[in-house]
Amino acid sequence: MSNLEPVIGIDLGTTNSVVATVRDGVPRVIPSRTGQLLTPSIVAVAKNGKELVGGLAKRQAITNAENTVYAAKRLIGRRWGSREVEDARRVLPYELTAGPEGNDVRIKLGGRVVTIPEVSALVLAELKADAEAWFGRPVTQAVVTVPAYFNDGQRQATKDAGRIAGLEVLRIINEPTSAALAYGFGKLIEKKVVVFDLGGGTFDVSVLDIGKSVFDVVAVGGDTYLGGEDFDRRVMDWLTFTFARENGGVDLRQDKMALQRLKDAAEKAKIELSAVPASDIHLPFLASGGDGKQALHLTKQLGREKLEEITKDLVDRCIAVTERTLRDAGVRPNQVDEVILVGGMTRMPRVQRAVREFFGKEPCKGVHPDEVVALGAAIQAQALTAPAQPGNDVLLLDVTPQNLGLLVVGGYFQTVIPRNTTVPTSQTHLFTTVQDQQTSVRIAVLQGEKERAIDNELLGEFILAGIRPARRGEVSIEVTFDISADGIVGVAARDVDTGQQQSITVTATSGLTEEELRRIMDDRVDDLLTRKQSTAEFDAARERASAAVREIEALVPAVQAALERSKFGKDAVQKAEGVMARVRQAIEAKDTAELAASAEPLERTLQLFKGLAGQAARPPGGA
Amino acid sequence: MSVNRYQGFVFNPADLSEDVDLDVERRKEILFAEARLASWTHFDLLGLPWNASAEAAKAAYVAKVKVFHPDRYPGQRLGSFRARLEKVFGRLTEARDVLTDEPRRAAYARATAPALERAALEARRLGDERRSEERRARLGRQNPLLARAGRVAELMKRGQEGMAAGQHAQAANDFLLVASLDPSNREAVALAAECKRRSTAHKVQELMEKAAASEALGQWGQALLAYGAALQLDAAHLKACIYGSRAAISQGDGGAARELAEQGVRAAPRNGAAHEALGVALEALGQRAEAKKALERAVELDPRLETAKERLKKLRWSFLG
Repeated sequence: MSNLEPVIGIDLGTTNSVVATVRDGVPRVIPSRTGQLLTPSIVAVAKNGKELVGGLAKRQAITNAENTVYAAKRLIGRRWGSREVEDARRVLPYELTAGPEGNDVRIKLGGRVVTIPEVSALVLAELKADAEAWFGRPVTQAVVTVPAYFNDGQRQATKDAGRIAGLEVLRIINEPTSAALAYGFGKLIEKKVVVFDLGGGTFDVSVLDIGKSVFDVVAVGGDTYLGGEDFDRRVMDWLTFTFARENGGVDLRQDKMALQRLKDAAEKAKIELSAVPASDIHLPFLASGGDGKQALHLTKQLGREKLEEITKDLVDRCIAVTERTLRDAGVRPNQVDEVILVGGMTRMPRVQRAVREFFGKEPCKGVHPDEVVALGAAIQAQALTAPAQPGNDVLLLDVTPQNLGLLVVGGYFQTVIPRNTTVPTSQTHLFTTVQDQQTSVRIAVLQGEKERAIDNELLGEFILAGIRPARRGEVSIEVTFDISADGIVGVAARDVDTGQQQSITVTATSGLTEEELRRIMDDRVDDLLTRKQSTAEFDAARERASAAVREIEALVPAVQAALERSKFGKDAVQKAEGVMARVRQAIEAKDTAELAASAEPLERTLQLFKGLAGQAARPPGGA
Repeated sequence: MSVNRYQGFVFNPADLSEDVDLDVERRKEILFAEARLASWTHFDLLGLPWNASAEAAKAAYVAKVKVFHPDRYPGQRLGSFRARLEKVFGRLTEARDVLTDEPRRAAYARATAPALERAALEARRLGDERRSEERRARLGRQNPLLARAGRVAELMKRGQEGMAAGQHAQAANDFLLVASLDPSNREAVALAAECKRRSTAHKVQELMEKAAASEALGQWGQALLAYGAALQLDAAHLKACIYGSRAAISQGDGGAARELAEQGVRAAPRNGAAHEALGVALEALGQRAEAKKALERAVELDPRLETAKERLKKLRWSFLG
């Protein structure tokens, strides 16, 4: 098993991301090179033009709001001009712009226009690098999670992000499913489980039947625009509104830096309120008074009750979605054996209470809401690459998240594969022509829940030509939809009489054309080349440092003996240990610069030790 | 599983030798399942007996998908077998969807009941019916009102059975009895009338046959009696009149012949054959003028009557002579 290449599972979250793997049959989170389990999904371009990812990007967000991208997941795979993107434009401190074909969203970042998958790719690449440092070997395959309710376009965009980051995405799986996988892994249970996943940006709920290591998803539902960020925004709105009222109408929303500070404070207060009944918010010098007036400070106390009041409708929406999903599954709340809470927002007492009231039972406390999704992804990654091990084999039976169908006459949407159908699947429908002497039909493949075709996502289209001319309704056209285990949609249309056939593999448009994707990946390859060079450099430095460390360690007993007889340099060994610890850390983190910096003190220590050891070797009393 | 579970199935050697990472047994299992998709019921597909429970279906599904889901072959080349697996998997899921939903499962089980099971079911149903009938009869014997209703039902049933068997007289009796027990039963009255009609027709038919047989033997008296009896039952039986008249002439009884022929003419005044018979009878009696008149009328009504034309010709010549 150990000679198989390591595979990882990545929970690419709206606010935080986590990477995990399965080692010796146990799923575990991989810490970042700085020792953190959660990596903020934030990317920034610093003033000096350097790309920053994760914690570093988050730390400088306040002073560099325009060039710090957070919550990119809310934009991935979205169309320019959609309601969601328009909403985001109003509140995000960084600037959005339309793609060259005007249908996808791009971000202006550090004087450059980047695509959303590129931004997500930076986060993925960071996690990949963390995993590589941890394993000490390259990692190229991963399972990445997305909200269950993501449509094909959003999934494809996430996959593209993986490719840009140099990862082969084995499978895109749904976050709640992933959580259930981690929950039921190796337990051999037979239960009906509901996963209630309220994350940073999205809300997902899934109903699963777990039986003998087969995880059968019965129904999924959710809202891709409901999550912790919305709770934060409610608090921000409340703060800006009360601030304006108390300070003669000063509008904080005009000030990007103030907005960023408010956002951080709102998030912090919200998190605090899960543990304490009231939280104080202090933001000194939040706004300049203008015209030489005194600077304005914000000091407010937010109570838990107030927070619950201003976010009540958000919680109600979660329950409404849960209700609908259970109805889809044909399951009553009291038939559910276990409710698993996932996502940081489920720590909020009001959310927990709502869940308890709806299901009439205490939710499961056995899983870590932040880590469980990544752990499940790691389990699925393992299952998709390694032969099943007895005791912990896993088979995930996932479902289609949304209806899949065709545009039909009158601009309506005709479902062919309904949502919550277990994949892989294949379904055939018969259609007829609608005009006399019609010789071709346009097959437009759509995904969504809306009755009118235009309100749904267009996945692809093609023309079936060469139809036998006849009166309308006399020609039968057989359309077959086919979804493979890895979610690839194929559509074929056939004229039943003439046998004329046409088909496509639907590759949802992530907004990136294949050409663009290739160009971006070429750029990345250049990056990789420079990185490879630095790897060679690092290897050389590591060799040198390791040799020095080994030499020093060999001298330690002699040095200690010498020091016992000497009045000087009592702290020499301590100092040496400090230097060596730094070197070891630098090797662990593959930090060439740090390694180079510690080369000199290492050398000095070695010389010192050599001297001391030489003294110790001399006969006592000699000079 | 037994070694010859694929008995009678011929595997395509090309499929068995395709360059994929699957052992031969697994390939056979997949190919066999794929080939049987169309003919197998959901129960067969899941390896279950007919009418297995929803729980059994679910357990079987969980076991089967571990074989037929492509994800179970990580890192293995599947070639054409990937599509085959997906096809079988799709059908398994369909089976699961139907069989784990109790109303759908029950309907499906009814629709796919094997012939033997169906026969057993039918036998059980008939047995139930018979038992309930016996029970009703027992009740009927104990309760006068029910007894009467039971008797009516019994008679109606016997009557109908008799009617179907051709025992019209008997059936008519039964229906008449019903009508007397239950005067408001219009169906019984109508059926009784119908049975009577059929019974008479049947008897007339018998008499006609008997008469024909007697004629063939030259027993004209016997034949004449039979025709007379038939006309007693059905006075308007034209054939009986004509044949009877003919038999009477053969018997040498012109008077009887004339009477029968006249009865025929009354029954069917516009029938040539009746007038012809009358003409022949009158001729036999020697009333030539009257005979001529009757024969002319016969030919007028039906020009194809050869006997009438011939007789008429003779009668005309004899006038000259």
